[in-house]
Amino acid sequence: MERSFKQEVELLKLGNGQTFHGEGILAVTKAMLQAGVSYVGGYQGAPVSHMMDVLADARDIMEELGIHVETNASEAGAAAMLGASINYPLRGTVTFKSIVGTNVASDALSNLASAGVMGGVVIVIGEDYGEGSSIIQERTHAFAMKSQIWLLDPRPNLPMIVRMVEKGFELSEVSSTPVMLELRIRACHVHGSFQTKDNVAAKYSRRNPLLEADFDFGRICLPPATYAQEKHKIQVRWPAAQQFIREQKLNEVFPGTDAKAGSEAGIIVQGGMYNVVVRSLQQLGLADAFGAAKLPIYVLNVTYPLIPEEVAEFCAGKRAVLMIEEGQPAFIEDALNGILRRADLQTRVHGKDVLPRAGEYTGEVVLAGMARFLESVAPSGVDIDAVRDAVKALTAPKAKAAELFGAPLPARVPGFCIGCPERPVLTAMKLAARQGGNYHVSGDIGCHTFSTLPPFNIGNTVLGYGLGLASNSAIAPMFGNRSVTIMGDGGFWHNGLTSGVANAVFNQGDGILMIMANGYTSATGTQNIPSSPHQDARHTRDMSIERVLKSVGVKWLRRVTTYHVSEMMETLKSAMNTPYTGLKVIIAESECQLERQRRIRPIIASALKAGKRVVRTRFGVDENLCTGDHSCVRLSGCPSLTIRTSSDPLKVDPVAHVNNGCVGCGLCGEVAQAAVLCPSFYRAEIVQNPNAWDRVVARVRAGVIGWLQPAETDRDARSAP
Amino acid sequence: MELPQRPFTILISALGGEGGGVLADWIVAAATAQGFPVQSTSIPGLAQRTGATTYYIEIFPEKKDLLGDRSPVFALTPSPGNVDVMMASELLEAGRAMQNGYVSPQRTTLIASTHRVYTISERMAMGDGRLDDERLLQGAKTLAKRALLFDMAALAESSGTVISAVMFGALAGALQGAAGDHGPGALPLSRKACEDAIGRTKGAEASLKGFAASYERAAQGAQERSVSPGKRWQGKSSVRVRQKFPPETHRMLEEGVTRLTDYQDADYASLYLDRVDTILASEREGRAGAAAASLPAGVENWRLTSETGRYLALLMAYEDVIRVADLKTRRSRVERVREEVMAKPGEPVVITEVLKPGVEEIAAILPASLGRSLAGWAQRSRKSLNVSVHLKTSTVLGFLLMRSLAWLKPLRRSSLRYQETQPLLERWLAAICTAARQNLALALEIAECGRLVKGYGDTFARGRGNFVRILDTLVEGKPELGATERATAVRESREAALADPEGRTLEGSLKRRGIAPLPPKAKPLVFMKRPVR
Repeated sequence: MERSFKQEVELLKLGNGQTFHGEGILAVTKAMLQAGVSYVGGYQGAPVSHMMDVLADARDIMEELGIHVETNASEAGAAAMLGASINYPLRGTVTFKSIVGTNVASDALSNLASAGVMGGVVIVIGEDYGEGSSIIQERTHAFAMKSQIWLLDPRPNLPMIVRMVEKGFELSEVSSTPVMLELRIRACHVHGSFQTKDNVAAKYSRRNPLLEADFDFGRICLPPATYAQEKHKIQVRWPAAQQFIREQKLNEVFPGTDAKAGSEAGIIVQGGMYNVVVRSLQQLGLADAFGAAKLPIYVLNVTYPLIPEEVAEFCAGKRAVLMIEEGQPAFIEDALNGILRRADLQTRVHGKDVLPRAGEYTGEVVLAGMARFLESVAPSGVDIDAVRDAVKALTAPKAKAAELFGAPLPARVPGFCIGCPERPVLTAMKLAARQGGNYHVSGDIGCHTFSTLPPFNIGNTVLGYGLGLASNSAIAPMFGNRSVTIMGDGGFWHNGLTSGVANAVFNQGDGILMIMANGYTSATGTQNIPSSPHQDARHTRDMSIERVLKSVGVKWLRRVTTYHVSEMMETLKSAMNTPYTGLKVIIAESECQLERQRRIRPIIASALKAGKRVVRTRFGVDENLCTGDHSCVRLSGCPSLTIRTSSDPLKVDPVAHVNNGCVGCGLCGEVAQAAVLCPSFYRAEIVQNPNAWDRVVARVRAGVIGWLQPAETDRDARSAP
Repeated sequence: MELPQRPFTILISALGGEGGGVLADWIVAAATAQGFPVQSTSIPGLAQRTGATTYYIEIFPEKKDLLGDRSPVFALTPSPGNVDVMMASELLEAGRAMQNGYVSPQRTTLIASTHRVYTISERMAMGDGRLDDERLLQGAKTLAKRALLFDMAALAESSGTVISAVMFGALAGALQGAAGDHGPGALPLSRKACEDAIGRTKGAEASLKGFAASYERAAQGAQERSVSPGKRWQGKSSVRVRQKFPPETHRMLEEGVTRLTDYQDADYASLYLDRVDTILASEREGRAGAAAASLPAGVENWRLTSETGRYLALLMAYEDVIRVADLKTRRSRVERVREEVMAKPGEPVVITEVLKPGVEEIAAILPASLGRSLAGWAQRSRKSLNVSVHLKTSTVLGFLLMRSLAWLKPLRRSSLRYQETQPLLERWLAAICTAARQNLALALEIAECGRLVKGYGDTFARGRGNFVRILDTLVEGKPELGATERATAVRESREAALADPEGRTLEGSLKRRGIAPLPPKAKPLVFMKRPVR
């Protein structure tokens, strides 16, 4: 695991009246314990990976409370686990990233929502939208609407987030409906504090098991029950939820400080947008540091369902309101218009007319939109000129910078880590294409998706996690030569085995599957998978991908160590050229370097301390032999293979240079040979804490060699910088 | 009581794995210890993987217990014109912060390291794709209310710690220096609170060292940056260079002379000077001609002579097996490697050369006739026969093997590569001379084409191919082109040749000049057609 939470989990033990200082997603976990959950699960993925990591580190606390913890095989598995709350009074939570995770989970979610729940269900959604997102930009809101799942979007401060988790379970139970808690990226990673309560052990748990199985056809998703369930959603669950939301005041109204202005205009925000809105008002001089604003603000901590009475109440008498709703389609804004029309209120709804329809609502964006709203509505007591000036002043530096730099600065795209075992595979693929002509590559989700970025630009399509091979099934037959699919071992276990491999074998697909087996779901923070090399006591060891492939009937199978570029290249070529027309699988294996370094660094450090002999390997470039063409960089892209100004006054181009980050994986050397680049690369093995023999040998060699070496005048030294 | 109107905001921009998160935690801990309400948030995501990442911190500069039941509303995203301290662990990221409007002359103290971590696009360029640092530094000085710029990576290395500790020190130091600078709402983060924060984390000792060093530097307001200057030339120029050539060209030509004496011998060096001499002569003519009108920009200071001198020296000292063996077996080289890999005194270092010589390399050093037939055979039979060799030059045997190749130096003049190289050089020099007489700018453009010929194996073949292609078409062909137009054409196609390895851009730019593109090269092998079932 990329990060350990051994210290942080202590926070989960805090009791009544103590103060929690920590990360948002950890606070959610604590709130869950305070709400007395019976089971927790999920699938890792930014921004909620930390929750899975925390659960892994908090096993003892979980066991003490009898909570069942499971790292599910996929989001679908996680959502399906919630079935436990359909017939039984068990509170449960699962987490995954959205939109993609919700997509995968949607089958189970629809069934769950239709059947309805007895025990409270809170699904913690990491809304991976906007800056720092790694996925397609869509809203989870649509899923909440189509399946009728309540959607909580709390103000992003810990006390409110924690309250909404606790209330979420109650809401779920009173309306027998699953609840989604939506947290945006920054809210997941926000550090703050809140007053804790004691953890609660659930009535039923691993420690205190259920005694009787419940049968109720009404909860089975099969007609005629499904017809009744749909009606029940509308006639019973919906009103129950609205009543609870009103009574518990889950939504908040912050009255404006200026009664006059407040009577003319107001602001309605998704809870998650509250802070950025207040900040924009502060910057325009319309609010103080504590959020006391001139205009009233209606905060939707529950964005689905809306409460028409509350909306009407807030809007009544106002000329206009500004709806601040991130993302598209503008579900809430449209709903507002409907509500006001039905209530026959003439209040004008602004929103996507003054704010962009698509994209993240950052401070900059909201500020501009807010200004536009104020200009068009001009509430009394708001100095529009002052607003305009403020905006001008705030945005001036950006314009100035653009003018100073001219062209936009080079982007810093994500790439593969130093010594990453996946990079050599891409090098081999690039070289193979150079020799044999190019071929279609179906990509997949994982670190290896970075292959589509420079320097490789490999991968023509990406369709979803574990779907690489499936997405290749219509492409393969359409091409004269064979196409290649890249899939990570994470994707393989997620669903690549079934929808990809099994399907291709069954349909006799004549494709090539390159499985990047680095042992973990590295992109999400190196969490374990069934085939991870090291498993803790609670997981089954040695679930081998190779055995699985053989057992589903893969006949053409090769295992290649990723760092052997030439061998990989030859293997790929033979897969391209074999007469065998079934699925050809190459397992490209080598452990994720991040994880490997994390494991061996402390070992090496202690060995060195103990005075043991340790050989450190790294690579280097003879800069007087490098001619500055940088082919090596174009074929490797390793962060530690960089460039620097040549110390040779004759050379104008910068020369290649291996910096101290080098972990000695050897790729640059392999590339130099596989691509027949240049003789500039050398491998250096530094013998630390050398023994007597090392020293003698070294001395003798140095002696003899020194004697053979030509005397070097300073002229020579200079000419060979 | 008069309360601050807004929080104090700190935006940190770092690269994955630089400990930006740790830095943010330290700041939060220090602020908390002093009783200030504080919130931090971050955007890790993909950035963990070598991308750029940001951490955003808001601190309310007034003790919690003075606020009663009120608590400040903290934003989770930074907004332009609203950042008090912008910290960047690398110069380009500082530039990015400015580009995004986070550095404002009214408010922002910019604390940035001046070292560069090059982006992939800068590193993979075939020539020099690096961004000009000066633009960024100028921007910093123009846009920031106060700019604190120095090489924090270097300081971190010298104090044996990570850059995050140095950045923290710079922040603390700057805040002291700037006390009151921000007027009401300035952030009084005490040095002690900061050091205590570090003290609670692992590796504290080294971190504290880096923190202190940087703190001092910042408190006195460091403002310089360390550039690594190319090797200074303090050598004395030889008699011939001194007497025959204008002073502006001495440094370059002397480098050339030294290089070639070392590469082959004194005669080779004087052949070099003879060749440069002809260039100088025609540059004189060109100047005389242009004297009426003033010299075109860019060709002052006898640049034609010195630039031709530059590339001629490099091209004459081409890297054949002999040269490679020679340079890899020098005393100075062993020292350089030990330094590069940071081997401590007394630590033996085993050096393994990663080589893959083939027929081509061998043919190149054989006597011309022999070499030619060998190369011809290899081409006909489509064999390169390259073999991967891992040669330990730190062992006696390995060294001898390598050194023995260097001993072939005296035979070089009769070698195939030598015989092939010289005529091409003569042709290029002749073209420069002819051009120089009518237009110095054009001559300079042709001279600069020498930059294209570099590297080994395919890289060399590609480079020389492009070089010859431009000579054939734009330099010696196309009589209808006027000198100025020709100069532009040559420059454009030279830059195009450095745009992509496949030469597409080059052919494109030639096409624009009405030159028919070359037929596509055949692939050495072609993937089998998918058998149809």
